[in-house]
Amino acid sequence: MTTASTATHCPYCSLQCGMRLVGRRSPEVQEWPEFEVNAGALCRKGWSAARLLGDRERLTTPLLRDRTTGEFTPVGWDEALDLVAARLAALRSQHGPDAVGVFGGGGLTNEKAYQLGKFARVVLGTSQIDYNGRWCMSSAASAGTRAFGVDRGLPFPLADVEQADVVVLVGSNLAETMPPAARHLDRLRERGGRVVVVDPRRTATAERADLFVQPVPGTDLPLALGVLHLLVAAGAVDEEYVADRTTGFEAVRASVSAWWPERVERVSGVPAAQLRELADLLASRRPTGERARVVVLTARGAEQHVSGSDTVLAWINVALALGQCGRPYAGYGCLTGQGNGQGGREHGQKADQLPGYRSIEDPAARAHVAGVWGVDPASLPGKGRSAHELLMALGTDDGPRALLVHGSNLVVSAPNASRVVERLAALDLLVVCDFVLSETAALADVVLPVTQWAEESGTMTNLEGRVLLRQRAVTPPAGVRTELEVLAGLAERLDSPVPLATDPEEVFTELRAASAGGKADYAGITWQRIRDEQGVFWPCPDVDHPGTPRMFADRFAHPDGRARFHVVDHAGLAEEPCADFPVHLTTGRVLAQYQSGAQTRRIRDLPDTGPYVELHPLLATRLGTADGEPLEVVTRRGRMVAPGRVSESIRPDTVFVPFHWAGANRLTSDALDPASRMPEFKACAARLAVAGG
Amino acid sequence: MVEVTGPTGGRAGERLVVVGAGMAATRLVEGLVAGGYPGRVTVVGEEEHAPYNRILLSAVLEGSHREDALTLRDPAWFADHGIDLRLGTRVAEVDREAGEVVLVDGHRIGWDRLVLATGAIPTLPPIRGLVGLDGRLHESVHAFRSVADCHRLLDRLAEGLPGRSVVVGGGLLGLQVARALAVRGVATEVVEGSTHLLSGQVGEAAGAVLRRDLERLGTDVYTGVRAVRLTPDGLRLDNGVDLPTDLVVLTAGGRPSTALARRAGLMVRRGVVVGRWLESVTDERVHALGDCAERLGRTTGFVAPAWEQAAVLAAHLCRGGEEAGSRVTGGYDGHRAVARLRASGLEVAVLGEPETTPGDVVEVSNPLRGTYRKLVVRGGVIEAATLVGDLSHVGLVTQLFDRRTVLGPAEPGALLMPPTPAVPVELPDDVEVCACAGVTAGAVRACGRLEEVRSRTRATTGCGGCEGVVRTLLAGGEPAGQAVGSTR
Repeated sequence: MTTASTATHCPYCSLQCGMRLVGRRSPEVQEWPEFEVNAGALCRKGWSAARLLGDRERLTTPLLRDRTTGEFTPVGWDEALDLVAARLAALRSQHGPDAVGVFGGGGLTNEKAYQLGKFARVVLGTSQIDYNGRWCMSSAASAGTRAFGVDRGLPFPLADVEQADVVVLVGSNLAETMPPAARHLDRLRERGGRVVVVDPRRTATAERADLFVQPVPGTDLPLALGVLHLLVAAGAVDEEYVADRTTGFEAVRASVSAWWPERVERVSGVPAAQLRELADLLASRRPTGERARVVVLTARGAEQHVSGSDTVLAWINVALALGQCGRPYAGYGCLTGQGNGQGGREHGQKADQLPGYRSIEDPAARAHVAGVWGVDPASLPGKGRSAHELLMALGTDDGPRALLVHGSNLVVSAPNASRVVERLAALDLLVVCDFVLSETAALADVVLPVTQWAEESGTMTNLEGRVLLRQRAVTPPAGVRTELEVLAGLAERLDSPVPLATDPEEVFTELRAASAGGKADYAGITWQRIRDEQGVFWPCPDVDHPGTPRMFADRFAHPDGRARFHVVDHAGLAEEPCADFPVHLTTGRVLAQYQSGAQTRRIRDLPDTGPYVELHPLLATRLGTADGEPLEVVTRRGRMVAPGRVSESIRPDTVFVPFHWAGANRLTSDALDPASRMPEFKACAARLAVAGG
Repeated sequence: MVEVTGPTGGRAGERLVVVGAGMAATRLVEGLVAGGYPGRVTVVGEEEHAPYNRILLSAVLEGSHREDALTLRDPAWFADHGIDLRLGTRVAEVDREAGEVVLVDGHRIGWDRLVLATGAIPTLPPIRGLVGLDGRLHESVHAFRSVADCHRLLDRLAEGLPGRSVVVGGGLLGLQVARALAVRGVATEVVEGSTHLLSGQVGEAAGAVLRRDLERLGTDVYTGVRAVRLTPDGLRLDNGVDLPTDLVVLTAGGRPSTALARRAGLMVRRGVVVGRWLESVTDERVHALGDCAERLGRTTGFVAPAWEQAAVLAAHLCRGGEEAGSRVTGGYDGHRAVARLRASGLEVAVLGEPETTPGDVVEVSNPLRGTYRKLVVRGGVIEAATLVGDLSHVGLVTQLFDRRTVLGPAEPGALLMPPTPAVPVELPDDVEVCACAGVTAGAVRACGRLEEVRSRTRATTGCGGCEGVVRTLLAGGEPAGQAVGSTR
């Protein structure tokens, strides 16, 4: 073969499917069958990913916006960076370091996420940094940390689910959100294993389920309580495991006594008989008499609630009570969403974190990281605001007056988005790094055009905790810079105490040192090892360490080595339906689009249907509307009009709107989970009407 | 619910005595702990067992629920939260003047606030021979309210299986016990004095369906007759029939336990009469909740309203002095009950009071399949419902009932129909069958074999979910409705 072929990974979701890019000018995607996570399978987003390279809408020059006319003017890089640096310096000297905020993204490479955290803490000295992963995996992260002492989405390789006997998917539509992952379910079922899907919608994933459970939005938690109630009642708890490997079960055992199936039925809308069926499945035995291997996986449907972290804890309790966590081909996992949702939450772009999944409030962690960075630990700021709280503080008396946005289109993706737009407008300075003029970039004072996937190299940590390398395959267009170069340029202009590296492999080497000894320990991972070994699983403390595909076999990450049960109870939604807003509104994804659509909407091969309102025929009849007719959806925060899609796949008391287009998140609630600060994207109360009727 | 200002909540250091340690009392104490109640709490429970989930007793009898999984809170939990839990003793008198309760052993406990959660006591039907000269139930006669009753019955079963049993009372509890005994292998009959089973909740048509179900499961049912006498051979009915039996279980209902309140001079009608904050209308220092309380002329016999009351009272008591007078939403002003039968092989849900609630009745009965469904609708709202035999829509109907959703005229009827099975649909060529690769039915049909589909269109190579549809299309067939991945 004479054509250049680069092994890399898809630019989208956390599955990070392996693919090859062939050709340098307009590269074609080809399969990489040897990469075991997707074994050559791709969805249409992956197949068409290279279309965005060389797109006509690609930004190739910095832009300055005139606030009076709203028009953008192209400027040179020096002018743009000088201006940004001067404005930031002025705001900092006038209002203090927290006057500048930084907003990152779960799609950034590990190197960029790490550098962004370092830039905020060392160059800006601000505590005000957080990222959109807060809206993605934070509830599962919070729960995993509390239960296991560490948060790694899947503590085992994804392919392990094929060897399980029962897989329970709670609030995951992986057949549409990460299609190649669904093949593992098919192989599981070919082996005789069974799949349970819990979702208010009969999704493409639910179509493959042996048991489909369709609860009211926001009731996955009482469902788990009911399951555990039945397991306890049936004597199906693995008492030996509970005694040897966990703490806190007795209080949980007593607490679930109050959640008998008929009570769960009333709260969740799931018939008691179905709950019993689920519990029987979980308590079943293999032909050998051994307990069935059970995998419980949660995703955004369970997690994006004010009770999201408690919901995850409730399902972890089920997995622990059955003795599944740490057992081969069994346990609990979270199906992370964004491409680098895992790595993005480990290396310091989160308000309370330093690299290696360290706490910014832990003096030893501060000392270690400050040592790697060559600065005084006391110079590092403390914990800042969580994503939504950060956005709500913008332009307020004690909030940031400038915001730097990297890898996030928050105008589309933030909850209660109209408020977010208001807050952005109240800023003195909004700087957005992006490669297209996203809805958020369009509001910026300064837009900095940066490289995208395939134009730069960097590591990603997929949903399994497997660190992967996306390799540069094409030459970036003239005029764009990498975000590492942007940050280094700003650091220099802001008289940073230390220079910032611009070579991603050099940054990774520094990240390894910063993460060494932390929970997410990358010290032993090198780019070459990643190439040679199809990725390396953290923790990997030294170069001779094989990495850790499977965690918890002998001990959990708490100091005593035990997992923790947590008593949780059902508190309900922040916003229950009422006479004025009588239906539940839930949001989610469609296969052909990704996140805010800034990338996928610009790819012609991907159908851009626009938003729609999925509703049950019963509800459609009540409203007097038909399939395809425009519907107005109103919540306490906003309204939108979109065509109705009448489908029996959704509960009659619930409507669904995909969130890839501006509109859905003007409706969603920004009530936050007290532990994870996750907004309740997945349920709010809404009213429907025939538009224009 | 309306915005109201409640009376003053608990003061720091006040002494609160809860009489009763059942489900309502336990829920109240949990609420007090969670809400940071500032007083000192003493709980007096008559039963020896740690507070437990009473409604699961029939499941324990049936063998589907372990007894050790009944406990709601063990004594250590009470101790850990500084609550003085006294089990196995009884309050003999309430002295309101002195602010004390007197235990049966003469010991007195002072209170500033008192909560009566005394529950209900089983009604003994007027059957001669039930009670011996010593005042105890005859050895073959069993009540079924407490864990001790359940033990006694289980012991009886363990001693050697009684051949036959009769359950007196065809209400919810009676049916649960009858099914439990039958599941244990005891030949069981049910005697119900009214015209049909579950007469407190459902009408004759539903009762008849239920009766057929029960008889199909091997349990004979006698309705419209009363047991009048226990003889050495069995139970004699008022129609002269003798039912030979080794065991009689009384499940003929209960009445609020109000003797203490009555003697203490509190207003009692059927239950202890209370206001919005569950305070006695006679003495606002005294509260009553659960089965023993009467609010707006009604008593309840269910856990859900008792727990709702417990939550209201706990919130009220936890609003300490500094927050007193703040405006809070709350108070208890009634409840929409859902009664669910918990018995293997019998499917019954009763929402509200379908026999007495006015409204339009939408009804579907199919005795051939043993199903009966009825909705009582007023102003588009489901005010009550009966579902027997097929509970496939129970979750949805309950949601609509609880949330008082206003339905369109076609919906109640549709809610009573079973789901229709998927039928093969002809897929137009432009319908997408593979969402991962964006491949239409026509594109698949244009291919000859699966391998060709894969190489030409990439269909089936993503998530793999469309492979069944693709194979069907290649074979010239049409898939059943639900099997299609996406039609957009």
